Amino acid sequence: MLKIIIPTVMLIPLTWLSKSNMLWINSTMYSLMISMTCLPLMNQFCDNSLNLSMLFFSDSLSTPLLMLTTWLLPLMIIASQHHMPKEPPTRKKLYITMMILLQIFLIMTFSATELIMFYILFEATLVPTLIMITRWGGQTERLNAGIYFLFYTLAGSLPLLVALIYTQTTLGSLNLLLAQYWIDSSTHIWGDSLLWLAYMMAFMVKMPLYGLHLWLPKAHVEAPIAGSMVLAAILLKLGGYGMLRITMMLSPTINFMAYPFMMLSLWGMVMTSSICLRQTDLKSLIAYSSVSHMALVIMAILIQSPWSFMGATALMIAHGLTSSLLFCLANSNYERTHSRTMILARGLQMILPLMAAWWLLASLTNLALPPSINLIGELFVTVSMFSWSNFSIILLGINIIITALYTLYMLIMTQRGKYTYHIHNIKPSFTRENTLMSLHLVPLLLLMISPKIILGTTY
Amino acid sequence: MNPLTLSLVLTTMISGTLIVMTSSHWFMIWVGFEMNMLAIIPLLTKEHNPRSTEAATKYFLTQATASMLLMMAAITNLLYTGHWSIMKLINPTASIMMTMALTMKLGLSPFHFWVPEVTQGIPLMSGLILLTWQKLAPLSVLYMIMPLINMNILLIMSLMSIAIGGWGGLNQTQLRKIMAYSSIAHMGWMLAVLTYNPTMTLLNLYLYIPMTVTTFMLLMINSTTTTTSLSHTYNKLPLITTLILITMLSLGGLPPLTGFLPKWAIIQEMTKNSSIIMPTLMALLALLNLYFYTRITYTTSLTMFPTANNMKIKWQFKNSKQTMSLPLMITISTLTLPLAPMMMILD
Repeated sequence: MLKIIIPTVMLIPLTWLSKSNMLWINSTMYSLMISMTCLPLMNQFCDNSLNLSMLFFSDSLSTPLLMLTTWLLPLMIIASQHHMPKEPPTRKKLYITMMILLQIFLIMTFSATELIMFYILFEATLVPTLIMITRWGGQTERLNAGIYFLFYTLAGSLPLLVALIYTQTTLGSLNLLLAQYWIDSSTHIWGDSLLWLAYMMAFMVKMPLYGLHLWLPKAHVEAPIAGSMVLAAILLKLGGYGMLRITMMLSPTINFMAYPFMMLSLWGMVMTSSICLRQTDLKSLIAYSSVSHMALVIMAILIQSPWSFMGATALMIAHGLTSSLLFCLANSNYERTHSRTMILARGLQMILPLMAAWWLLASLTNLALPPSINLIGELFVTVSMFSWSNFSIILLGINIIITALYTLYMLIMTQRGKYTYHIHNIKPSFTRENTLMSLHLVPLLLLMISPKIILGTTY
Repeated sequence: MNPLTLSLVLTTMISGTLIVMTSSHWFMIWVGFEMNMLAIIPLLTKEHNPRSTEAATKYFLTQATASMLLMMAAITNLLYTGHWSIMKLINPTASIMMTMALTMKLGLSPFHFWVPEVTQGIPLMSGLILLTWQKLAPLSVLYMIMPLINMNILLIMSLMSIAIGGWGGLNQTQLRKIMAYSSIAHMGWMLAVLTYNPTMTLLNLYLYIPMTVTTFMLLMINSTTTTTSLSHTYNKLPLITTLILITMLSLGGLPPLTGFLPKWAIIQEMTKNSSIIMPTLMALLALLNLYFYTRITYTTSLTMFPTANNMKIKWQFKNSKQTMSLPLMITISTLTLPLAPMMMILD
């Protein structure tokens, strides 16, 4: 794992010592090369033996997330190039350094063996993200957004720290490779429920669960594009990854503790999808759709069946790529009209046809069109939810319909119809933007061919 | 101040603390405390204005009361056990009175009322000495009498201190008061774990002192005492804004900075002793502290504060203030979390 971490750390001197005109090129190119070094990890053995050291390991759950993380850094750097040209070089380098620092913490988080190290790095990812949102966001609401983001996550995760230390003192070690052998089926006391809650609330806030999701629209909307991309694609998945790792230690308390969260997720999924239909702010629409997709992941993890774990993992990767792609598309609108209001940039198909193709593909994957991996995720989750409880199909079906509704609403609003008269003098699409969109879509479409690498541990 | 006077005062203050730390007779500890207190009074009144006089008076009254309580506790112990030795503070009344006296000297709740007002009235350097050096003597006595302290009283006082340190600092814009409430909260953390594993108290102290020294040094570079004037730092020394950011976040206890290490160690020690609700409450209340530190970073480094726009852009001269060992202190106070396994040497 050091062969990925050390080059990422060395990207920081690369950023600070580059000449100003080579800054973006250098960082993009080298971060792309680092993502290539992550690919050989995909060769997973079925006995989970890819244990690289005492500190780092990578199994078939963490490898796709690692791959997504390393793939996203060059994309974030490409996306940030446009709104930074007037800043002094020091500030540009600081911005890229924040992204690289976040990347280092994320790589170490996904490959951590020891749960306390996972916790420390999980918290550590908050600091660069907070700095990116607050320092480089656009509007005054970003201050509030940063505070909500920081404090919701911290208030959820401090009980997690206490719970982890308690488990370490009672069980002896928190090494993840050993934890899978400790399923405890003895009689349970009510304190076990509190322990379960302490473990799960941190990840529930991060996912986010419907009742605790207030930070997400604020943070996503106010963040600059790189911040939005990394928030939507990776940081939400940290919650899902944590839950997937920890639930193997927590059964069977989960059987009865899961019900309130299942209800919140089922209802919240439908609610947030419905809210999307009434949004005027494009980024806010995509943020609420993230909440809705992640509610599916929460439900899948809570019912703990092999199919649902496969669906959760596939959905996480697919949603990461799709959501990040949608944010990039929304940002390309924002850079032209300097407004996030959807109706100010309508009828773009006439003016930017290639961008309309990317919008179409992004919308199609967002509404889980077969045979994309989004569909695989949602389908596995729906099927396993049906076997858990027959009635949930009603709400899941309603959610799928409303997802299709708001995605098509977004597509038709921005692309079709008559364009507004103030939009005819926007700049045409840059090659950089087309590269960005295609780099998002190519993994998404190629994974259709062999989705088994993203199906996680229970494949 | 006249250098001769200053050296005399500092020597007396330092030797007072050393006498406290090295004696085993209660009378000598009282002597050490009195020397320390009397010597620091001139340091508190370095600027001759009524506010410093008020601060020095408040300090004198509380510390003198605490010393008298300490003497009373020692004599009560003498009455019941016949010993002047520190290790034989067996009588419960004496032990409780001694705990009250020492926590009054530290500024722990419910005896915390003097800390913000005294810290506010004195110059920054004296405030630094007040919040760091003056904590050494009472904490060393508490460390020595640790087995004989009533745990319940100490835990209640610590929890109240963390709560008051958090909520009290929320409405402040004066940086010295913010640092005072921060000191109250950190003392709460330090004393909560004293009866479980006093090594962690020392760990917290050894990390709290560099972090506070760093913060005060950064404030002294700008000679600022209010949040508003701190927000002008970006104009004069822009690099300092980044350093203020990471120091404040470290004080608030965010991983991966050093300030997380004492909190983690204290939660670990308390959990090992099957006390789980208490560290959870303490950790959640520490978030209040983090809020006002984050507010300082917002006004300083993460935004361009509105009032700062009226200021002309200044020529950026080379910094001519003495900043002894500031880089070293910053490194210690923010980047030493990976060295956590080395803390075993404290045992």
